[in-house]
Amino acid sequence: MGSRRSRLELIFDILLAIQNKGGRIKPTHLMYKSNLSHKLLNSYLEELLGKGLVQVEEEFSKKKQNTTKTVLITDKGLGFLAEFRRMREFTDAFGL
Amino acid sequence: MYRLFLTPVWFNGWDLVFEAVGLVVALLIAAYSWRMYRLNVENRFAYFSLAFILVAVGLAAKMITSSILYFTPVRDVAAVVLGPVAGSHLRFSGLLYRGGFFLQMVATLGAWLLIYFISQKARERLKRFDELTQLALFIYLVLLISVVANFNYFVFYLTSTVLLGLIVLNYYRAYLNKKNKNTWRVMLAFMCILLSSIFYVFVFWFEHFYVVGEVLLLAGFLVLLYTYSSLMRKK
Repeated sequence: MGSRRSRLELIFDILLAIQNKGGRIKPTHLMYKSNLSHKLLNSYLEELLGKGLVQVEEEFSKKKQNTTKTVLITDKGLGFLAEFRRMREFTDAFGL
Repeated sequence: MYRLFLTPVWFNGWDLVFEAVGLVVALLIAAYSWRMYRLNVENRFAYFSLAFILVAVGLAAKMITSSILYFTPVRDVAAVVLGPVAGSHLRFSGLLYRGGFFLQMVATLGAWLLIYFISQKARERLKRFDELTQLALFIYLVLLISVVANFNYFVFYLTSTVLLGLIVLNYYRAYLNKKNKNTWRVMLAFMCILLSSIFYVFVFWFEHFYVVGEVLLLAGFLVLLYTYSSLMRKK
C-alpha cells in the first residue's frame, strides 16, 4: 500500500487530472480521477479557486434544463504543475 | 602566523576563486531547498537547506582566513578591524586564525553529517526525541573533532572523508533504486568532493596535493551546479 499523500501532492493530483483531460473537467470526473471524497475535493477546489490555480465555468444545458459546472486549469495552475515536477526531480536527485 | 598546513605559493588566491564558486552553488541549493520547505513545511527540506548553508559558511570562513594569511593588504585591514580583539601587538592573532579554521571545520563537518542523515532517510523512523538526542551527540562530536583538528589538521579531513564516503554510498544506493541520472550526477559530485578530501589528508606529505584537492572540490561543485541548473531548466 502506498503512503498517505501530502497536501501538496493532492493539489498536484487534482491539477494533473484537469490537465490530462485537456484543461477542463467535470467535478464528478475530477473526484474519480483524483481519488478524493466529494467533501474533500470541494474543500480543495475552494482553496485552488482562492489561489487562482483553477476556475469554475457554469453552463446552462437546455437539454437537461440545469446548470453544469466545469473546472478549468489556469496558467497559474499550469505553472504550479511545472514547479511541482521540478521539486519532485530535485527531491529524487538529492535523495530527500 | 598560524597555518594549518603549507600550500603552494603560486596557487594562493586561485583556491579562493574555486571556493567562491562552491559557495555560490551551495547558496543556490540552500535557497531552493528553503523555498521547498516554505511550500511543503517538511523538516527534511529545512535540514537540507541548513546543510548547504553550513557548506557555504565553512567555505566563507576558510576564504576569509586564507585571504588574511595570503594577502598583506587584507591582513592590514583585518589587523585594524580586529585590533581590539587581537590585543596589543596582535598577541592573540593566532587565536583568531584558529577561530576561523574552527568555524570552517564545525560548519563543514556539520554539513556533511546533516547530508548523510538526510540521504540515509532513516529519520522517518525516528521519534522527535531520538532525533534531538542524536543531533546533540553529533554536535558534541563535531565540536570535539574541530578542536582537535586545529592541532592536527588531518583529523578534520579524515573525518570529512569518512562522512563523504558514507554520503557517496547512500547516493549510490539511491541511484540503484531509482536509476535517476540526476542522482548519479549528485553521487559523482560528492565523489569528487570525497576525492578532494582524501588528497587534503596527504598535504603534509606533498603540498601540491592541495592543488589537486581544490581542483576536485571545484569539479564537485560544478557537477552540483550542472545538476541544479538542468533541474531548473525543466518545464
